[in-house]
Amino acid sequence: MIARLAPAIAAAFLFACAAFQPTPAWERPPPPPREGPVVEAAALRRAELPNGLRVIVLEDHRLPRAALGVTARRGAGLESPGQAGLASFTAELMERGAGDRDTLELAAVVDRIGASLSAGASFDETSVGVAGLSRDLDTLFEVLADVVLRPRFDAAEAGRVRAETLAALERAKDDPGDLARMAFARALYPDHRYGRRLSGEPETVARLDAAQARAFHARVLSPGNAVFYATGDVDAEDVLARVEAAFGAWQPAAVPEPGSAPAAQAPTGRRIVIVDRPELGQAQIRVGHEGIARRDERRIAASLMSRVLGAGGFSSRLMSRIRAEEGLTYSVGSSFVLRRHPGPFGVATFTRVPEVRRVVDILLEELERIRSEPPVAQELANAQSQSAGRFALSLETSEAVAGSLVDLDVHGLPEDSLDTFRGRVRAVTAEEVAQVAQDLVHPERVAIVVVGPAEAPSRWSGPRSPTQDGSASAAKKRRSRFAARRASRARACACAPPPAPPLPRRAPARPARAPPPTAPGRTRGRGW
Amino acid sequence: MSAARWLLALLANALLATPWAGAAWALDDPAARMRKTVLDNGLTLLTLEDRATPAASLQVWVKVGSGDEARYTGIAHLFEHMMFRGTKRLGPEAHERLIEARGGRVNAFTSRDVTVYFGDVTSEHLPLVIELEAERLRHLDMSAESLESEREVVLEERRFRTEDSPQGRLFEALMALAFQAHPYRHPTIGWRSDIEKVDVETCRRFFETYYAPNNLVVAVAGDFDSEEVIELVRRHFGPLEAAERIPRNPTVEPVQQGERRSTVHFGVRAPLFAAAWHAPPSGHADAEALDVASLILSSGRTSRLYRRLVYEEQQALSAVGSYWELQNAGVFYASAGVRPDADVAKVERLFFEEIDRLRDEPVTEAELDKAKRGLEVDLVNGLATAHALASRIGRDFVTFGEVRPLEQRLEAIRAVTAADVQRVARTWLVPERRSVVHLVAPPAAAADGAGE
Repeated sequence: MIARLAPAIAAAFLFACAAFQPTPAWERPPPPPREGPVVEAAALRRAELPNGLRVIVLEDHRLPRAALGVTARRGAGLESPGQAGLASFTAELMERGAGDRDTLELAAVVDRIGASLSAGASFDETSVGVAGLSRDLDTLFEVLADVVLRPRFDAAEAGRVRAETLAALERAKDDPGDLARMAFARALYPDHRYGRRLSGEPETVARLDAAQARAFHARVLSPGNAVFYATGDVDAEDVLARVEAAFGAWQPAAVPEPGSAPAAQAPTGRRIVIVDRPELGQAQIRVGHEGIARRDERRIAASLMSRVLGAGGFSSRLMSRIRAEEGLTYSVGSSFVLRRHPGPFGVATFTRVPEVRRVVDILLEELERIRSEPPVAQELANAQSQSAGRFALSLETSEAVAGSLVDLDVHGLPEDSLDTFRGRVRAVTAEEVAQVAQDLVHPERVAIVVVGPAEAPSRWSGPRSPTQDGSASAAKKRRSRFAARRASRARACACAPPPAPPLPRRAPARPARAPPPTAPGRTRGRGW
Repeated sequence: MSAARWLLALLANALLATPWAGAAWALDDPAARMRKTVLDNGLTLLTLEDRATPAASLQVWVKVGSGDEARYTGIAHLFEHMMFRGTKRLGPEAHERLIEARGGRVNAFTSRDVTVYFGDVTSEHLPLVIELEAERLRHLDMSAESLESEREVVLEERRFRTEDSPQGRLFEALMALAFQAHPYRHPTIGWRSDIEKVDVETCRRFFETYYAPNNLVVAVAGDFDSEEVIELVRRHFGPLEAAERIPRNPTVEPVQQGERRSTVHFGVRAPLFAAAWHAPPSGHADAEALDVASLILSSGRTSRLYRRLVYEEQQALSAVGSYWELQNAGVFYASAGVRPDADVAKVERLFFEEIDRLRDEPVTEAELDKAKRGLEVDLVNGLATAHALASRIGRDFVTFGEVRPLEQRLEAIRAVTAADVQRVARTWLVPERRSVVHLVAPPAAAADGAGE
């Protein structure tokens, strides 16, 4: 499916060179990248039903698997802050009974064939996916169509989901990283939906019911607002016929306007938020402000700048300094969360309590330095080759490619974005990166979030005083507001935390390098 | 799996006519094309060409884990970090930076039995990965300074994963309770005091003792030419000198004589429950039946634990039970996230009722079929990437001395009967050999939370 990128002869030549050269590989110029089309034209089929449902089929016959789904181009972004959690609640209820089957009957059909079913929502989309063996395609289609078109929205199930969500929100307060992420989101978007958790807040979830879910489903899931995808060991013609049979009678409806953008903030300076967790020996830290939207033309330059700053692993300035040189953390990273409207931009890390002030100072210094000393040619070249190479690895499976094509569809981006991505990465100039650093990084007006024992201020003293322009009192106010609340009151909670992590069966892994803490929010993180 | 057992499995399958018996199952097992090369110094190289992916994964499997440690716990893992701190020719972290700059992924992990280093790259960069792995094995440069810095990193990791993590504390306490003699009782990351005190000389001895070519398996999968990779590995890994002997820990865990219990206090809102039963080590004939039991208990909404604890009784947010096999022992691990408003003792009672039911009555045919199908799909999904393929051949070879053919594994899974599941539950999941841990808020904090 993914095209073989170059003739084997080229590979043989490279290996031969490697075998006879005395200089080590890392001192030789890197071999030329072997790149061809990401998506083989012959494997991809696009279509549109008369009712407006768009269809993407990507054949990949390497393994006897199939994955299919329907994604609607709206999600939690439609909710007002007071309804926070409705999209996730609706998606969860869609899994709880559809067509002729109740929750456990539906699950039995899925489990019997070793398949998986998941419905979920992000800020920008609501989706249902099923995956299993390709020989079970009949069942996979049947389940998908039932869940998308005929969810039951049973009132008793709604009660269960509400209680489970509330319990999960309470449990999320046990996760320091999650507390930090949500306090950061709230600091950036106090009055906008982005400042509330995807799965909602206790006071909003408590009000959700089956009728609201049914209404949300009717509003969001319609053929003109959705894309169907299938990938794996399937035949495109056969899939198109099945899609027509299963979804052809789906009635078109008006496509809802997207949710509103966050009001332009007029931040006056740094804000500090402390979430008090007396039992912690390590503080979680987030520093940043609003970033850019998914469709922003600067997204590739911004992602390269972020790689140099903190998203590029050990090649990044933050990882080099805070972990490799100073041993202050196990992980640090930066990221832009790309959504329809500008999501958070920020850096995330954690350190032992006595070093909080030092680490925050370094984070602020590096945010300043990416502006005053923009990436030099070598840093940019590294970020570019890293970005292009990681792109190829991230699309090793057809599920990943199909998911990316759906993502492009959701955001109305060009269909050939995957094939043009590496070229666009290489075309970014040092001047553009320097410019995005100037335009998109503002250390003078960041929100700083620390989750840790607030009662030990003498141990870490907090970050240096905020800027002088009147924000000090605001910061102080916020700080006292948060410090005064007990930990249990801090804005917390999560989209359902994972179940008690089942141990990897063979070997509980302990990686040397953690993935960077997903800085300010969850994202599909795709910049193409 | 022994040949005899394999044959038995085949026969059983033929006789039982499971639902798959008639289905055409023509899954190509790429591992059938794997080549094994043993260098003169004893290093084993496994190469598996798969030209349908643009990627390649190289993994160095070192047969040493925290289960081999003596005196300083955590040294296997701390040393794994030191492997990234530079060589005589390359500065600290240069290894990772060089591969990252080409878009590759580099990482490593340590478990109780093995330490594994890997590089995943688009295949034109495979020669670089080979040379870099050989470079640090041949010319590692450890200094007191780099150890000091890395020690702090590992202590941060320990805080992150264990000391500030309810799950981490729970699991650490559980293993320390279930094992009393075997080093498996120690956390792989090590006890804090040991991490704080280990020195460069100890690291160096550890390296010389265990990082010998005859204790390594190099597994490579993806898009490359085997002849060329074999030649490169021979050239760069060939000069390593074999060790005369690799010491192994002699300790065997004595049979547990009665239930053990422990409570951990930590400021949580949602208590946690965990239990562990002693179970057989890797390669035991009961492995597949224990896997089937795991799936019947924990996989999907129709699993027994989800239905009972999460869905019907609404006492837990999650509940799982799974078989975890190690080289010298095994554990059947159970855990549940208790709802903030629920009682951990009640969750334990419900959980153990489900374990009792597994012993007292045979599972249904529908449950059996569902679990087997789940394991089958897992095997297929494990073939999807170069990394997963290299992991499979590396892990299998290190554990079993061979790569088990897919077909053989499928047959063994298909041969499991309801009677087998009941038998292994009766053999292993007995109260006398279980350890139980509750993680709950300390009394004061609980009152504080309740008053909110």
